[in-house]
Amino acid sequence: MFNRLPFHTQRKIIIVGFVAIPLLLLLTFAYYPALELIRLSFTDWDGMSPDKSWIGWDNYKEVFSNPEIFGVFKHNFAYFVVGIIQNILAIYFAIILNSKLRGKNFFRLLLFLPYILNGVAVAYLFGYVFDTTNGSLNTFLGTLGFDSLSQTSWLGSEGFVNYTLASIGLWRFMGFNMVIYLAALQSIPSDLYEAASIDGANGWQQFVYITLPNIYKIIELNLFLTVTGALEVFDLPFVLTNGGPAGASETFVMKIISTAFQFNNYGLASAMSVVLLLFVVVVLSIQRFLLNRGGN
Amino acid sequence: MKKWFSLAIVSAVMLTTLSACGSNNNAEPTNNGGNAGTTNNTETKSNNAGATNTNAPAEEATGDSAISGKVVFLTNRTDMIDKQYTDYEKRFEEKYPGVDLQFEAITDYEKNLKIRIASGSFPDVVLLAGGIPNAELPKYFAPLDDIQFSDELYYQDLKKVDGKMYGISSGNSTVGIVYNKEAFAKAGVTEVPKTLDEFYAAAEKLKAAGIVPLASNFKDKWPLGAWIYDVPTMISKTADHQDKRAETDTPYTMDNVYGQSFSILRTLYEKGYLENDVNSTNWEQSKKDIAQGKFGMYLLGNWVVNQVIENGAASENVGFFPFPSDNSGEAKAPLNPDFFYGVNKDGNVAAAKAFVQWLIEESGYDDFAGFIPTLKNKKPKLAQLEEFNTYNPTYVEAVPPLSLPTEIQNKAQIEQEALVQEFVLSKDPQKVLDKYNEKWAKAKSALAK
Repeated sequence: MFNRLPFHTQRKIIIVGFVAIPLLLLLTFAYYPALELIRLSFTDWDGMSPDKSWIGWDNYKEVFSNPEIFGVFKHNFAYFVVGIIQNILAIYFAIILNSKLRGKNFFRLLLFLPYILNGVAVAYLFGYVFDTTNGSLNTFLGTLGFDSLSQTSWLGSEGFVNYTLASIGLWRFMGFNMVIYLAALQSIPSDLYEAASIDGANGWQQFVYITLPNIYKIIELNLFLTVTGALEVFDLPFVLTNGGPAGASETFVMKIISTAFQFNNYGLASAMSVVLLLFVVVVLSIQRFLLNRGGN
Repeated sequence: MKKWFSLAIVSAVMLTTLSACGSNNNAEPTNNGGNAGTTNNTETKSNNAGATNTNAPAEEATGDSAISGKVVFLTNRTDMIDKQYTDYEKRFEEKYPGVDLQFEAITDYEKNLKIRIASGSFPDVVLLAGGIPNAELPKYFAPLDDIQFSDELYYQDLKKVDGKMYGISSGNSTVGIVYNKEAFAKAGVTEVPKTLDEFYAAAEKLKAAGIVPLASNFKDKWPLGAWIYDVPTMISKTADHQDKRAETDTPYTMDNVYGQSFSILRTLYEKGYLENDVNSTNWEQSKKDIAQGKFGMYLLGNWVVNQVIENGAASENVGFFPFPSDNSGEAKAPLNPDFFYGVNKDGNVAAAKAFVQWLIEESGYDDFAGFIPTLKNKKPKLAQLEEFNTYNPTYVEAVPPLSLPTEIQNKAQIEQEALVQEFVLSKDPQKVLDKYNEKWAKAKSALAK
């Protein structure tokens, strides 16, 4: 029957069919919940009762006026700093592993492996590494002779607990960034480098004038991933420190979860989620603006 | 040369990566049980498997025509599925042949139950976990007053709304010091401390013997609950201190029950009677350390006794005594209910009620879990509870929680465990209390509007 229809109609049916189904799935499972989240953010729903009363912008006022809520963003700063270091390391390893190195596939695999591990498993693993009394890191430092350093409470010092946690993130995601850089590096034609070396450019000059401009877009992408990652950290502090000591490693997402599920304030938690979303958009716009200014 | 150098650097990094992979293998078998943060806490907290199941005498089948059909019990005891529950099902269906009993076990119970209730349909018998205010109970649950129990029950009033009872406690527990007797003997503590000063002295002896006196599990937050709910109860001999907070703008002061209770913990911390680094404690490991006598004591509920025994301690080596919260020498202990059974009013009510009665009277679950039975005249099976009772503690029964203090607390976003942590770690504890009191007062006046 379908065959007998005119070609144009057939084409239309197929196009509509192929577009409609993914769109329908996208709408039901991505856009509808997102809109529902925005709707909830204007109510005072407690998570259970059937009535959700509309309270306007009160939740948003609360998010911005309560320093307890917004102040936790400064904990995310550490993840941001370490994220930059992570990207520099990733480029470094990508360049090394892109050269003619023996066994480079093996090394690539090794660096990428931590990314495959489940986040909670990684957190438990590092719980044993950073444990003060029985942890492998302190035991190692002790055997090296750093007696005072081997007493460090890596996860219990308000000053650097976030850096400790972020360093685990570095271990975990560096390989992922590296793989993306590697793919970009492999797409740079090698005759560029040949021509440059004939003209007498050294390795550093080649890196600055050939490699960097060619992987610029990819750096931007990786920074995007790093920034969103830094803003949305959750699993490591949740499992390892539970926000401690005394709230020093609490992140915004943990705050959202406790607001919703512990304090039964789903409305406020929804508003916080929306604010986080906007915050990511704002930070990324700034980043794009800064990076593109040089490019154009 | 250059290549050799980069190769060296890369291999150095590889080696560290590899060694970390190695420790992963070691880590996994050690963290048996819990896999995710919160679920871990809630699960293990009421996870007191260990004692063998004692079968209640099988009664002759009393076939009741109204009691038939499918009954589903939503439970938090994932560990009992395909084990004890298979036996429960067999015994219950023998007694009521028309009933098809089913178990559904979920983790992270409180959160999930709330979602199930909000969705409009949930199983026939559930555990009334925290988070459901009493006033909401009649909306979803059937009153249970017409079940004829063979004995008086503890906590008939706790889930009572307008004179009707909506929940029955599945078992009860108390809080005190769970200790390793060998560790006490090794440190030369011959008698259990009866006053707070004796308690500090015993802790000093334990510390001198190289044993960590008290495992606080400070980092995990929930073990600090005893200092918020139970020690204040012991100090004041009243159980309504959490409710009374609603009457004041300054619920946390240095000289009230909370200040006194938190100060005891702070003293223990300052004198070095807690773990070496309280911000890096490990709950699963602490059970092994108590069992092996590396740690001396816990201040927790009797439910932990079975878990310590499971982790390698001999039962006769684990003791339990009331925590001396002051120097009066009088033994006091709180009596706290565990989860309450509730019956879905839109479910198979008759059969569900029969099942709740059976759970309380015949299943033997209270003995299995190491609880103090809900039936007032039934003696607890746990040896440590018998020891506990030889110190003749005055039990202070929990009172129904008011919803207003919880509302204020949620509005103010106060997590009391975090308050205790800050109080203990801070240089100026008064400032911490002031900060929380201010939040409390603000939320209280906002709610009064």
